[in-house]
Amino acid sequence: MSESIPAISSSLAAEPEAARTRLLRHGSLWLLGPYVLVLVAFLAVPLGNIGVLSFFTSSSARLWSPVLTLANYRQIANGYFLDLVGRTLAIGAVATVICAALGYPLAYYLARCSRAALAIALFLLIMPLMVSAVIEAFGWIAILGREGLLNTALASLGVTFRVDVLYSQRAVLIALVQLLLPVMTLPLMSAIEDIPVRLEEVAQNLGASPLVAFRRVLLPLSLPGLVSGGLLCFTVAISVVVTPALLGGRLGRMLGNEIYDQALSAYDWPFASSLAMVLVLLVFAAIAAILATGPRRQTRGGRA
Amino acid sequence: MRSGHLLLGAYVWGLLCCLVAPILVVVGIAFNPTPRFLLPLHGLSLRWFRDFFTSGEYLHALFAVSLPLATLVCFVSVVIGTLAAIGLVRFRLRGREALEAAFLLPILVPSILLGAALYLFFVRIDLAGSFAALAIGHTLIGIPFVIRVVIAGLSGINPGYEEAAISLGCNRVLAFWKVVMPLVRSSIVSGAAFAFIASFSDVNVALFLSGPGTNTLPLQIFSDIQWQGDPSIAAASAIQVLVVTTLVLAAQFLSRARAVG
Amino acid sequence: MEAEPVPSGPLLEALPAGERVGLAVRGLVRHYARDVTVGPLSFTVAEGEFFSLLGPSGCGKTTTLRCIAGFEPVDAGAIELAGRRIEKVPPHKREIGLVFQTPMLFPHLTVRENVAFGLSVHGFPRREVARRAATMLELVGLSDLGQRRPNQLSGGQQQRAALARSLVLEPPLLLLDEPFSSLDLKLRVQMREELRKLQRRLRKTTIFVTHDQTEALALSHHIAVLSSGRIEQIGTPQEIYGQPASRFVADFIGNANLLDAEVLRWREGIAEIVTESGLRLLARTAAAPAARRLTALVRPELIRIGTAAASVANAFTAEVREVVYLGDEAQYRLRLGERAELLLVRKLTGGDDGLPDASVMNVGIDPRDIVLLSR
Repeated sequence: MSESIPAISSSLAAEPEAARTRLLRHGSLWLLGPYVLVLVAFLAVPLGNIGVLSFFTSSSARLWSPVLTLANYRQIANGYFLDLVGRTLAIGAVATVICAALGYPLAYYLARCSRAALAIALFLLIMPLMVSAVIEAFGWIAILGREGLLNTALASLGVTFRVDVLYSQRAVLIALVQLLLPVMTLPLMSAIEDIPVRLEEVAQNLGASPLVAFRRVLLPLSLPGLVSGGLLCFTVAISVVVTPALLGGRLGRMLGNEIYDQALSAYDWPFASSLAMVLVLLVFAAIAAILATGPRRQTRGGRA
Repeated sequence: MRSGHLLLGAYVWGLLCCLVAPILVVVGIAFNPTPRFLLPLHGLSLRWFRDFFTSGEYLHALFAVSLPLATLVCFVSVVIGTLAAIGLVRFRLRGREALEAAFLLPILVPSILLGAALYLFFVRIDLAGSFAALAIGHTLIGIPFVIRVVIAGLSGINPGYEEAAISLGCNRVLAFWKVVMPLVRSSIVSGAAFAFIASFSDVNVALFLSGPGTNTLPLQIFSDIQWQGDPSIAAASAIQVLVVTTLVLAAQFLSRARAVG
Repeated sequence: MEAEPVPSGPLLEALPAGERVGLAVRGLVRHYARDVTVGPLSFTVAEGEFFSLLGPSGCGKTTTLRCIAGFEPVDAGAIELAGRRIEKVPPHKREIGLVFQTPMLFPHLTVRENVAFGLSVHGFPRREVARRAATMLELVGLSDLGQRRPNQLSGGQQQRAALARSLVLEPPLLLLDEPFSSLDLKLRVQMREELRKLQRRLRKTTIFVTHDQTEALALSHHIAVLSSGRIEQIGTPQEIYGQPASRFVADFIGNANLLDAEVLRWREGIAEIVTESGLRLLARTAAAPAARRLTALVRPELIRIGTAAASVANAFTAEVREVVYLGDEAQYRLRLGERAELLLVRKLTGGDDGLPDASVMNVGIDPRDIVLLSR
């Protein structure tokens, strides 16, 4: 008799605590569950699928046969495909660097300007991201073509120089910079906004000219924004399809084009999968490189 | 110093104009009366728009595929994304930062990877080329936008408001619904706008997941450019731009805060 | 008005000998927004002097400081530092020390690197930089914290580091913009004392902006009181407090009984006035009052009570309406006659007159303790 009473009272005491934790678990289950399911079913599984597929053998009869092989990766590792990957990386890197150089002054201006100016500027800045890449490539064809806007303008001005940059890597680069400048600028702008103007004034007051203040105060403090903008920029740049397809010609072909062709023209799914996995690897490598230099960046700070 | 500011301003606005130049050029071509991809304009004409609206392919792409698709994607993204954002912000979970990073991963995954992976996955379950496949692919791109915007909106709300409501008699759910939801409404709507645009403008995923009857508008434009179509391409593009511009302006108007990206 | 002789001795400091001009501001004008103008302002700060710009928020003191520092352009007027005209010189060439309201230490540098920043920008050799930084850190008492990051320091320590960062460059002028307003009261008093000792020791020409009159009174050789972009009065702390030039200054500094009054007659240095609340007072003024309508200022601590009240010309019986106890002093709201209200302040000392419980008291005002101000 006396033993049962403590049992009841202790369970009563535990009631509200258990109820709260149950609510916590149920609540977060219902809220986070759907998205987790979506991610698992439609992201993790498909990615795993192509991971596996990349090790299968191509077969003209059945599209693929479940025989494990490294042939796909070996094919990528030399000749045409290696050049392709190298070219893709190079274009991605150059586009990112150009975006950083062009985008920094832009980000600084936006971080410090008035609200009204910011509203207009942001609208112009996001448009390249929002409008489809197809349309922008079309616009560049009209501008850069042999009888395009640029050349007709030059002709009407009496200049004999003609632009002949279409269907080349350079055209792809130009279009990529236009496409990706917002991607670089927005995180950078955020980072600079977090730097109080007073800090720049302090640096100036201590004798630093605007250039020195930029190098020793602004740059170190905005580096995280620069890095995250650069990462996003690079990731998108190496995975574009439409832009090189329309503007790159033969020499401007990139990894994305090859993946598409192998998957939907040649129906060589294992090989397409391996190319896709290379892309995954490149993105991971970029992220890893960032993370590796991260902690050092924190402690180094700027030199006194 | 003043001259430095002027120089910077000139650079910035010049650069911004260059950013939208291709878009403006396309819209300009759409109004050109002559069948050439040229500017300057020799007057305004709507003939290409007439061609657009009499082209079965384009009408199908716009009204039977792109618009309904984007609308569906928008709705589903908002529901799932808002729930996930609420879950992340309002519940003190262990490893919350890791979870948040994982949730935003699809943004880092290039859309072509998504497209290829989903294609090779759907093709095994005979789903490739269907409207559902496209919807799933686009939803995957759209949800992270919603999550990011709604998290930002939620984080800016002082939990004191809910506490005040609870002290006046509401339970937790009611307090959230009556106090917080109205305040994040504008975040949700702008997230919805971005999800819509993500679907409406996407090409990379649609390249892989579309089929004969499910050509999106950007895809139709893409193939027409490659097959040397006429300037009705420009008209189609101009309409695309119009839809997107309207939504961007609406989203900007709603999220008046400076925090972007 | 025949003033009580300003007490000499430890209460009054002599300005550093030489009295060369450290900073001269002449006719400074800055159009801030539409309809808002600061200036024309003119004042001179002697070398080695501690000079405060005191006033309510929005009076233009921070704008003036920023003009001197070079972060706001000057629309008219001249600023001269050690004989050199600087109003057109860019801010990074002005060689002026500046400490903001918030310390604004560079978050990505250690305390030592912060202090050394200006030195390295100016191109000092590394060893020299290290030596000077170390000396300065010791001067402000932060030698042990040199390797820490700013966010590991307390508010007071951060402010000291910011001060060190500016002083290490040995600028001819130091500007401080309400540097203690983000600190709590006790810390504020402590930092005030440290700043005072430091400034007197270094003989650094200093301009201090504040809205806190206690700080201004405690620290300054001279104070300029500002209101709505104009200087109301420049004087020593004693002059500002004891002989305010205008109603605004009288009201802004310390507690004040301000009574609007009319002059009835003036003869041989004594003015007979009647306040709007019906009090008749005799006030000592050397010169005849300029206008018939004026304001009389009576400082609450100068009102006499009890036996001392009986011996002065203005003696009244007052009813105590309200008593506010503040620990070291007590404030009494007195009603004289029908309508007149006065504030009386008494420091609570050991000996008592049976004050705290009185509901009626005899009060008196010495004619020499009344200051007549224009309306």
